Amino acid sequence: MNPRKLSGLQKDALRLYRDCLRAIEKKPEESRARFQAFARHEFEKNIASLRRTDVKAIEHLLRVGRRRLEQYQSPNVRDITIV
Amino acid sequence: MFRLASLRIASARVLATRPTAVRRTVMPALALRWYSAGNGLHHSVVLDQIFQVLHDFDKIHKENISSGADFSIALGLDSLDTLKLIMAIEAFSVEIPDEDAMRITTVAATINYIQGRDDAR
Repeated sequence: MNPRKLSGLQKDALRLYRDCLRAIEKKPEESRARFQAFARHEFEKNIASLRRTDVKAIEHLLRVGRRRLEQYQSPNVRDITIV
Repeated sequence: MFRLASLRIASARVLATRPTAVRRTVMPALALRWYSAGNGLHHSVVLDQIFQVLHDFDKIHKENISSGADFSIALGLDSLDTLKLIMAIEAFSVEIPDEDAMRITTVAATINYIQGRDDAR
């Protein structure tokens, strides 16, 4: 699938996802699966529609994603629902 | 440094057991090396831990789990899944920094990595 020569952009995306996973670990146990599904879904939907060469679009999504992570990781956010 | 230490140990042993001078041919300290690396974790112990994580991972089919398994080819995981898998493995052993986590793509690589970390358990 991938020859494991990750571009800087791919690494940034993986880093963001990993930070999401770490933040999810701190969420209450009952809601972790929902947070995990949400994070996964957010990444998936963009993976489908983007090409690897859409650098500007990817950078934008990473910035937005990072900001949303910072908001959602607050301990006040205890559960998440997907409508 | 190790060579000197082992020579000293060898000479002490020789003097203790045999009063006559004997030419040293064995280095006791080096002869004690075993294949589980500095942290003492044996290959099979680490393998068992990894297999347990793979078993509990809901996206993986049990029949694909093997010690030679590649995460993406044999287990059908993408890079996001692999990150999640490595986090589960971290719970057993060591905290794995991002750079290292992105490079581990097979069961064998995981074992090598864990054995190479001094602080693993």
